[in-house]
Amino acid sequence: MKGLGWGTVLLILAGLAIMPFFVTNYIVTFAIQIFMWIALAQSWNLISGLTGYVSFGHVAFFGTGAYTAAILISKAGWHWFPASLMGSVTAPLLAFIIGYPCLRLKGPYFAIAMLGLNEVLRALVSYFEDFTGGGNGISLPPIAELQPVYYAMGGVALGVVLVTWRILTSRFGLRLISIREDELAAEAMGINTARLKLYAFLLSAAFPGIAGGFFAWYSSHIEPLGTFPFLTTITMIIMCLFGGKGTVLGPVLGASILSIFQELVWARFLFIHQAIFGALIVAVVLLMPKGILGVLQERYHLPRTI
Amino acid sequence: MSIQITGSMLLQGVVSGILAGGLYAMVALGMALIFGVMRVINIAHGTLLMLGAYSTFWLFSLYGMNPFLSILISFPLLFLVGAILQRLFVYQVVNAPELSSLLLTFGISIFISNMAMVAWTADYRSVEFLTGSFLLGPIALSKPRLVVFGFALTITELAFLFLNLTKIGKAIRATSQQRDLAQVCGINVRRIDLITFGLASGLAGAGGSLLSVMFSVFPEMGQIYVFKSFLVIVLGGAGNYPGAFFGGLILGLAEGLASLFLSAQLSEVIAYILLVLILLVRPTGLFRGRV
Amino acid sequence: MENPILELCEVTKRFGGVIAVNRCSLSLAPGRIYGLIGPNGSGKTTLFNCITGLEAREEGEIRFKGELIDGLKPHQVARRGIGRTFQVIRIFPELTALENLLVVTWFPFDLALRRARELLELVTLDRLQNEYAGNLSYGQQKLLEFARVLMIDPELVLLDEPAAGVNRTLLNELLQAIRNLRAQGKTIFIVEHDMKVIMDLSEKIFVLNYGEKIAEGLPETIQTDERVMEAYFGR
Repeated sequence: MKGLGWGTVLLILAGLAIMPFFVTNYIVTFAIQIFMWIALAQSWNLISGLTGYVSFGHVAFFGTGAYTAAILISKAGWHWFPASLMGSVTAPLLAFIIGYPCLRLKGPYFAIAMLGLNEVLRALVSYFEDFTGGGNGISLPPIAELQPVYYAMGGVALGVVLVTWRILTSRFGLRLISIREDELAAEAMGINTARLKLYAFLLSAAFPGIAGGFFAWYSSHIEPLGTFPFLTTITMIIMCLFGGKGTVLGPVLGASILSIFQELVWARFLFIHQAIFGALIVAVVLLMPKGILGVLQERYHLPRTI
Repeated sequence: MSIQITGSMLLQGVVSGILAGGLYAMVALGMALIFGVMRVINIAHGTLLMLGAYSTFWLFSLYGMNPFLSILISFPLLFLVGAILQRLFVYQVVNAPELSSLLLTFGISIFISNMAMVAWTADYRSVEFLTGSFLLGPIALSKPRLVVFGFALTITELAFLFLNLTKIGKAIRATSQQRDLAQVCGINVRRIDLITFGLASGLAGAGGSLLSVMFSVFPEMGQIYVFKSFLVIVLGGAGNYPGAFFGGLILGLAEGLASLFLSAQLSEVIAYILLVLILLVRPTGLFRGRV
Repeated sequence: MENPILELCEVTKRFGGVIAVNRCSLSLAPGRIYGLIGPNGSGKTTLFNCITGLEAREEGEIRFKGELIDGLKPHQVARRGIGRTFQVIRIFPELTALENLLVVTWFPFDLALRRARELLELVTLDRLQNEYAGNLSYGQQKLLEFARVLMIDPELVLLDEPAAGVNRTLLNELLQAIRNLRAQGKTIFIVEHDMKVIMDLSEKIFVLNYGEKIAEGLPETIQTDERVMEAYFGR
């Protein structure tokens, strides 16, 4: 039974690996998008799904990674790949600065602090114009080929999924869950909740940082409004919730399904699109709090570490 | 950027800030009540404020209604909206894990603000009712700010009188302090939740109406006030309603000073840094309260 | 008393205008079972919270094995060797019974697994080890919480109303388990409302009323103490 699961996974991965050579550019572009959303939703899962600390400003790390890469590429002449990887340094740094004070306290305070983070970052980016190009943003050379970005973004997605799986099958993961279940009791039993939350938070910031870098390279132009949009945070939250927070494959499921819906149906009507996401969040919270995967897990008695 | 800051400019900044602070206090009181009674952080508070602002705008533009008079409509209207939201959705996450109530109110706020965008477009609207300023010695007191402050103060005072003198008000305070005990004493906490949410929404709506006189009205206008209200609550101490009032004044003051010495953009950053610092140093608030 | 394992010196804790714990001083000798009783609201749980670091005391000192522990974070207090259970059960519902125990220890996995299984056997929950803790009955959860606190191998165990809501059979098992702990050299401090339980178990009892310690002594003495009667029944 277990072998069957692994076999399927490897088959899918192999298929994805050779796919770019057989399909149109449109599909490759779409796949890049899905990979990016998987990476984002899964990262949000690492902190909010596992520990229950809702991060409302997670796009801040995505934006930080994007700006890091853009500045390194345009001002320091770095190659796009290492420039993007630097996002895994700058984003966690920001996470540390915010997380160190805010994670010491209970959930609501953290959530609100993250809510304000977005606005603040946007203000700072505009303020430090010379460095960040202000409202006009930074332009990068247009990319020649899609395939490197495909593999890069796919790599990030795969990476964060693997990391989540490793965590959920370890005691570190169990401890994170115990924080979500009853932080007071966890603390009273000797678990250093502040430190564990910080680790999870730093991890959850690293992957969006890298994804942001790849995104910057891919888009060839970034500006504050486009890189720190609230919609991104909303989307990664609903994708994770819909698929199933606190699981390994939940965000993958949610990102894939909702990306397809987005592409086919809603992207035409931007504001209705957001409103529908809002309604969907309400529906999931009230009717399906464990997401699709959660429902499946209960129905078919699947293990928690899926 | 070296502008000399004179004493009168300083005074101006201080006064301006305090006037804004009164409004913050009023809006924050609503959010504090919801948090106190239901342990719910109402992310949708900003959108309720926005609805109040739009109702004033439309009443003003279509019927020429005095914006301050329109509070008589926006308050009950938003009371109703809030009560409906509570009855349909929020009641299910009262005293639930914070994740649920945060996400629920978040979803509601996204839905409402984007429907507003669909209905009324993202264009900035304004209510041109009061302009100009009184000159008091070296300071120019902006008329809209002054009148708004007056109303905010009055409404807040009325709210406090309600909380302290009426039976329902006392029931609200009892529930927010000790929910189980309140139930044992025969208080119908479900009903109190409903009334509290309605009251808080009304306050937010009134806040929006007042804001429309001073600033532009647009669908996303309320978002920053969720954050600022929370900051006010943290400053004043959660559960400490009078403290929230002073918290509002302090925030207004800090912002006023910040925009004087730094750029206006950075004043938001100041609010944020203030929040993080307070949470670090004295999470129970500057005044006595419970976390 | 020589080398008390726990020493409280004039500990005071206020909540706004209310004094929850008022200049409380007591000493616990190692290896004994102590009881803490008092009417509702007398500050018993608050006292426990102060000892374990969940609340910060305002005045006074708390010493564990001679060292000051006030000001330590709860997880640090737990690591020093003080474990506690709660008035309202606080197990982790979405973790299995086994995982509830594995989570709180830093022993290498195999060692931890073995110890966890032993403890579950001790409280007769071994056949439920892979059941989600949230699905267990009240009594089973109570036993699980007890096993969990033993998992961190504390020298001092604070039990907050261990007998609450527990049926007679389970209660006897629990009481026997507590006596076994004492036999192993652990110190037990119990808050309890069930008078029979506490009089049976304790070697010495402290009585709190309105946050103040009003009496301490042997169970027989406490039962006839006037101030204790007054506290519970009024004049």
